[in-house]
Amino acid sequence: MQKKLSIMEIERFAIHDGPGIRTTVFLQGCPLHCLWCANPESQKIGMHLLYFAHKCVGCGACYRACQYEAISFENERPVFHREKCVQCRKCEEVCISNAIHFSGEVMEVSDIVDRILRDKEYYKNSGGGVTISGGEAFVQFEGFMELLKQCKEHKIHTAVETCGQYSTEKIREVMPLVDLFLFDFKHTNAQKLYEYTGGDLDQILANIQYVASTDPTKIIIRVPVLPGFNFDEQSLGDMFDKIVEYGIKNVHLLPYHTLGISKYEQLGRPYTFASTTSVMKEELVPYKKLGENKGLKVQIGG
Amino acid sequence: MAKFDVNGGQNVEVSIKIPSEKSLGEQLEIMEEYTQVHMQCSGKPNAYREVECLKVLYPKMFRSIEPQDKIAGRIDFLPIGFGCVTSLGGVGHYCVFNKLRSFQESLDSEADKKRVDFLYDYWLENDLKTIYCNEVLTETTIGRFIDVEYPLIATARLSGMMLDYPKLLEKGIGGLRKDLEAGLGNEPDNHFYIGALGCLDLFVQSAEHLRISALKQMEDCDEKRRKELDTICKGLEKIKCDKPETFHEALQLFWLFALLAGVINYGRLDDYLGPYMAADIDNGIITEDEAYEYLYALWTMIENRRTTVNGRIIVGGRGRKHPKEADRFLHIAMKVAKNCRYVEPQFTLRFDHDTSEEIWDEALDALGAGATYPTLYNDDVNIPAVAYGMRIDEKTAEQYVPFGCTEFVIQGQSTGTPNVCINLLKILNIFMNEGIDPMDGKDKSGEFIMRSLSEFDTFDKFYEGYKAFLAYYLDLSVYAQYHSYEVMNRHVSFLFSSILTDDCIARGKALLDGGVRYLGGTNETYGNINTSDSLWAIKHLVYDTKKYTLKELNQALLASFEGYEHIRKDCLNCDKYGNDLDTADNIANDLYEFVAKGVRERGIKVGMQYFLIVISNNQLNTEWGNRTAASPDGRLSGMYMNPANNPQGGADKSGPTALLNSISKFDAKYHAGSVQNIKFSPNMFNENRVVIKQLFKTYFARGGCHLMVTVIDKGILEDAVKHPEKYPNLIVRVSGFSAVFVNLSSHVQQELLSRMLYD
Repeated sequence: MQKKLSIMEIERFAIHDGPGIRTTVFLQGCPLHCLWCANPESQKIGMHLLYFAHKCVGCGACYRACQYEAISFENERPVFHREKCVQCRKCEEVCISNAIHFSGEVMEVSDIVDRILRDKEYYKNSGGGVTISGGEAFVQFEGFMELLKQCKEHKIHTAVETCGQYSTEKIREVMPLVDLFLFDFKHTNAQKLYEYTGGDLDQILANIQYVASTDPTKIIIRVPVLPGFNFDEQSLGDMFDKIVEYGIKNVHLLPYHTLGISKYEQLGRPYTFASTTSVMKEELVPYKKLGENKGLKVQIGG
Repeated sequence: MAKFDVNGGQNVEVSIKIPSEKSLGEQLEIMEEYTQVHMQCSGKPNAYREVECLKVLYPKMFRSIEPQDKIAGRIDFLPIGFGCVTSLGGVGHYCVFNKLRSFQESLDSEADKKRVDFLYDYWLENDLKTIYCNEVLTETTIGRFIDVEYPLIATARLSGMMLDYPKLLEKGIGGLRKDLEAGLGNEPDNHFYIGALGCLDLFVQSAEHLRISALKQMEDCDEKRRKELDTICKGLEKIKCDKPETFHEALQLFWLFALLAGVINYGRLDDYLGPYMAADIDNGIITEDEAYEYLYALWTMIENRRTTVNGRIIVGGRGRKHPKEADRFLHIAMKVAKNCRYVEPQFTLRFDHDTSEEIWDEALDALGAGATYPTLYNDDVNIPAVAYGMRIDEKTAEQYVPFGCTEFVIQGQSTGTPNVCINLLKILNIFMNEGIDPMDGKDKSGEFIMRSLSEFDTFDKFYEGYKAFLAYYLDLSVYAQYHSYEVMNRHVSFLFSSILTDDCIARGKALLDGGVRYLGGTNETYGNINTSDSLWAIKHLVYDTKKYTLKELNQALLASFEGYEHIRKDCLNCDKYGNDLDTADNIANDLYEFVAKGVRERGIKVGMQYFLIVISNNQLNTEWGNRTAASPDGRLSGMYMNPANNPQGGADKSGPTALLNSISKFDAKYHAGSVQNIKFSPNMFNENRVVIKQLFKTYFARGGCHLMVTVIDKGILEDAVKHPEKYPNLIVRVSGFSAVFVNLSSHVQQELLSRMLYD
């Protein structure tokens, strides 16, 4: 039987998710709920209605088209009752200003691979490949494995962007199919990590350690640097120490950005992370040095 | 005979010309004298008349030598005179009527104005382009350059001549003279030889005129300039007969000849000037810095001719006789192109899989700095393609050179002038509206018998119907092209160009009289992608999913989607070319092959060596789009059409690899040049140089024939629209040419802004 995956997006010419020219497949579903998540529409599997208020001309066509009372019309603007929405997409179809969009689709793995193969020569010449991101790639484990297998059959370099929140058994299974892990590491304080993300520090560390001990060249640690969470010498220093301890060399510091905030409005959800100011690349220079002094190779940005 | 406006603009003119040095009175006298001689020589052989008329112009029309000039030679043009292209003066014995009228308006005395009226009336009967237009244009199907109400426009001109400068340098004027005299010895009555010899005399007189002018300037200048002028004087004396020995002399000889021939594209400079430059540097005659200054001065003189869409200088590539010396020239030229920031010359790099990393890096540095040059041409694809397309062997095809917006010719051996342009989208609109152009309500079906839309019950039938109508216009286009040669040959010999075009001297014939080895031509096609995207939308919405009937869709189009916004949304949502989708790309390719092969076969049939389409672009995609009705791809009435071989602005949403995959799908062997644009922000381009280089190289290895790269900040373009005064020197690539952004019309600026920018 054909295996399927729920995806948020396939991005071609992705050049910040691993080496060279890549195609990044964003899968849906994530066990974490990081407050700052820039892809909130990827957290849950399924289709999600995005409403772009700035494009809306207030014509009311969506309200008239909805047969499920999932849209009311107040002050010449639609109000969405998402719990009633059956995702028939009628509202999206009738909206002439493209203010409504349903994100998320189900694709056959082989179709995803066909799309990936379109740029095969670019990967080959630039040292690139495919990156599977999310959401969290491991959530749709079966399809994810199949996708990796098929990519490897075509000799495509595979990278996985992951948060590490799953059993080590799973990572053991994918290990031979993955050339590079872009492993998220957010904090060394278990309580704080749980509070902001729902993540289990011990589980995550166990998985990082597993990859590092199996092949330390296969892993790059990615640290999202977040004001009010880990953007301080103590937090980053502790993380660097841990990384050194595991024998890992490469670290990317990813400055916090606010590009995802509007998506929360579009999804009708509150943005609960305290900071709404982006971190500039230059602000991370002292921390890059801090890591380098500990013997790490630190890069700012992906 | 169709009525047409002789006062209409005849070509794209974005760069503003430098005003004539002559007083208005002098200008009027020269034009009168020219007209007088033209009249007196009526009935005489073409070549004779041409030389007599040229004698009126030269050396009189030379401007003074400017202080920064390292070689001599600048020319003014008047509204009446002789030329071969519309970018400088006009074609053959010409009168540019709108320019003559504005000249007239600047005169004070009524008597003088009357004198102009006389000239105006005489040239109405004698301007070559007008004669052509009177014979070829029709009321509704073929319009003049550039009348955007028509689906097809045609003109007479001899664009893009790339002369055999290697031969000129090798033989010198004296050597050419010997060849012509030998020919004349065998055929004492051959007017071509007599005329060509007259041209060489004119060359010598012009050199002497410039020498005297330089001598005069030496009386009042500093020591450094005196030395330079002394070199100029000696050089001019030398090249009157002898072949050049120094870089300076070679440059002077090539330049003066190009000026007198009225040609505005310069060929493979690296190969024919490189050996002189290298020898002079090695022998201590000039330093590398001085070589750089020479090229900078040449670039400035080319810029000052202001031809907007020409000024091609080609470096690199296969088939060079002196690759080592040529590469030394190339490296210095690359620096000049990066630093001078002119819109012309259009600095062009040919390369193949063997081209060094050093050259690649220099090219990317210049592009990354925002120079818009070099434009990139892939020999691995183009040489075999040209060989097939032009029906020549690969060795000969190695001498292909792009001119103007991108059209290929074989240096010194062929003509390739694009004398017709066709708007595929307008033809689709007319077809869908059963013969009537929705833009102005006029019937433009000509003699073609239109069928009712209701007859097309399958997509294949619909598409075949459109192709049949298109074929009617292709027939008209080849007739209009070929006839332009016949009309030009009836009136002029283009002697200077003929002297340096094979096999004119050997055959004793002017180039359009049977002299040129390869009589080629090109046909510029517009709206290609709007048309193929429209065809896909029709297939998908009308025939496959049956969401709308053809009639419903057509109604929406006639209303430019007003009141039919939901239909427009569906049209826009259909798959679009530029996203590496087989659906839209395959139909684009099918249409491309139909048009390209159709044009090529018609050219061969009529007796030309080749007649090929070019998917180039000046700004006609915007101007023609302004007078082209709404289309099923979702484009509104009056909106710009897609530029060159690129998607409609904003339709490509899948990133640069997808775009490049789409644009490399067309088989290059059926066209004579196809422009591919790509635009990056400076951050993206310069911070990811390694990736960008691999992106380009992969595209070329996959069959990409060409790329024009703009590196610019979107914010800057937007700001330049609002505050043009802040950006007098901001250069952008339009498609077939670069331009100062603030000099472009607002429609063209909007089209440029609409294009995808990779950030």
